[in-house]
Amino acid sequence: MSLIVAAFGFGLVSMSIIAISAVGFTMQFGITNMINLAYGQVMIASAFAAYAVNNAGVSIWLALPVGAVFGAVFSFLLNRLIYAPFQRKGTNLIGMVIISLAVSLVIANVLLPIVGYYSVSYHQNPGPTYHLGSIALTGVQLAIIAVAVIVMLAIYALLRFSRLGKAMRATAANPTLARNCGIPTARVVDQAWLITGALCGVAGTVAGMNSDSFSVASGSEFLIPIIAASILGGAGSPYGAMIGAVLIGEMTEISAAIISPEYKQVVAFAVLVLVMVLRPQGLLAKRGALAAAG
Amino acid sequence: MLASHHRVGRGVGVLFAMLALALAACGSSSTPSGSTSKSPLLIGVIAPFTGPDAALGPAYFAACLPAARAINNAGGVMGHMVSCQEFDTRGEPADAVPAAQQMVASHSNLMAVVGCTSDEAASVAPILNQAHIPMFCMTGQSEFNRTSFTYFHRLVPPDEFDAFAMVGSALYHFNYKKVALVFGNDIGSQAFVGPAMAALQGLGATVTINQAIALGQPSYRTEVTAMLATHPDVIFTEALGPTDATYMAEVKQLNNGTMLPFMGTSATIDPVWFAAVTGAIGVQTVVDKFTAVDLGVSFSGPGYDEFKTNLDAVASQFPDAPKYSQRGATLHLYDGIMQAALAMDETKSLDTTVYNPVIRDVGNGVAGAVTVNTYAAGVAAINGGQKVRWVGAGGLTNYNQYNNSQQGYILVRYDASGNEITIGTLSQTQTATIIAAGGG
Repeated sequence: MSLIVAAFGFGLVSMSIIAISAVGFTMQFGITNMINLAYGQVMIASAFAAYAVNNAGVSIWLALPVGAVFGAVFSFLLNRLIYAPFQRKGTNLIGMVIISLAVSLVIANVLLPIVGYYSVSYHQNPGPTYHLGSIALTGVQLAIIAVAVIVMLAIYALLRFSRLGKAMRATAANPTLARNCGIPTARVVDQAWLITGALCGVAGTVAGMNSDSFSVASGSEFLIPIIAASILGGAGSPYGAMIGAVLIGEMTEISAAIISPEYKQVVAFAVLVLVMVLRPQGLLAKRGALAAAG
Repeated sequence: MLASHHRVGRGVGVLFAMLALALAACGSSSTPSGSTSKSPLLIGVIAPFTGPDAALGPAYFAACLPAARAINNAGGVMGHMVSCQEFDTRGEPADAVPAAQQMVASHSNLMAVVGCTSDEAASVAPILNQAHIPMFCMTGQSEFNRTSFTYFHRLVPPDEFDAFAMVGSALYHFNYKKVALVFGNDIGSQAFVGPAMAALQGLGATVTINQAIALGQPSYRTEVTAMLATHPDVIFTEALGPTDATYMAEVKQLNNGTMLPFMGTSATIDPVWFAAVTGAIGVQTVVDKFTAVDLGVSFSGPGYDEFKTNLDAVASQFPDAPKYSQRGATLHLYDGIMQAALAMDETKSLDTTVYNPVIRDVGNGVAGAVTVNTYAAGVAAINGGQKVRWVGAGGLTNYNQYNNSQQGYILVRYDASGNEITIGTLSQTQTATIIAAGGG
């Protein structure tokens, strides 16, 4: 029993990281209609950008914003230079998915000669370990959870209360109508890529902090639970992605405790398949913040 | 509309430029510096260069480059210059098959292929054998112990022997009795588990837990907590990429800052593994708590010196090459290439069906063969009408009828610079006892 409780505690950290990344991933889809399979590689590229700064002697907490900025700029350029031109040409969704897959491979293979095939670790002090019953979390892990909570609240505030958030929701619901209503949708899309890219950068950096070691190959591994959480919650729904992250994060850890670590992803995906059978639109698709009103 | 097309064109241009860059990065080949009128020969390095096992490919590429340099500096194989080319399998059989097929179909000048780890050997070896291409594989899978593939060569023991050596080292050298098995869930790593469990249980030791961990996960804290609850004396491990680094860092964290002793397979004697794990738990912890088994290589002698000289010299092509000076796989694959080249010289043939059977003769030596440690010496001896026996960087070769060659094992640890230090060996009696207990 104590192992399950401990696994629940570790699940809090996992779900925090998945939540940050899945919200960015699903917002990209919701607002720009782009299933960006290069997301995991952008996360890793951002993690390495933060590593470069951290390796130069800067605290990882100061390097974290560097990762965020790198992710934002990289994602913005990725859309402007590659995705948007294809979308304007009318490439369908499947075509865009294939393009993003190609971009993912390109990023991975361009990164390799730059950062090498070595796994790297941030220079960080995990801090003291805090215990609550069987749950044991380090200071860094608690900080990661705090970062996730702050980011989730910020996203909620952005979408709920800001003009940009409302414009994003309008663009997601019906871009043509939004444009006709005077919303500069192109600029909104640019800002969406910057914001979601920043989330991607933050997620990549905190994932690197949590895992103690990462390499170029980690990008594809990061992507799997992100997609699972996004689809589980309802594609395009940030709040759904948050719930999906909670479920995927906890299920993977608790199943590792109950069944076998070998099957922890299998269990998570089995639940995903079950949800897809029973509720194909995901848990919150109709109630997501980016969904059409009414 | 026109502007839109221009933008699409720019996007496509950027995409293809990046693709070209990526392809250039992942499919690079070394070219011989010398020029010759004779057609060049190619050594294919088919291995994971990306994916979780991406650290393996460079170790094998580092074997090919010094071999090619030594051969080319001696005038090539009958005047044919030799080069090396990477073929990435991503460590996945599904990717390895097209990679092997493309390699065979696109390169009629393949003189040998090296690499083919346990990740892809089962899918790659049949293709190479059918194409009549001599291969030197770094797979430890027992299915190759009595293989019918006549073009297959293996200069390392099967993984079960690695496992037996770990068991022997744990029981006889350290007197550990409770062992946790933590291996990646990939084919290559799992090959150790069955033999290790059988040997441990057969010799009265306890397997406290057997974890097959998914590679590349961001965290293993739940798995580590479960493992620590079994209170093992030592952890046996092989989980490549960042996996071991992440797992061991979490062992240290969750065990109140104290690392448990852990022991790796010969694949963990690798600069990439060393860098990853020391980055995560610190150099001193690795020096103090980690041991591994490795192939019984002395890292000395004229064959090794020749290898080392050429390895250092190819740093201009592959800056990391010198780091593989004590990687058993690198040494053995270098030897395999040399044996293939000398077999070609002995038979005066570029026909693989002609020189492939002679590779075993060059490795084992035939009656009256003269021992050579450098390619130039081998060519000189052959030109003088003599048969040769190659004793190279990895020492003696002893192929059996299945072209499997194996030597003894040593117990090693790292020093602070990542160099291997021998701390023990297993006696013949100990080895026989463990193999019998493990069913080997």
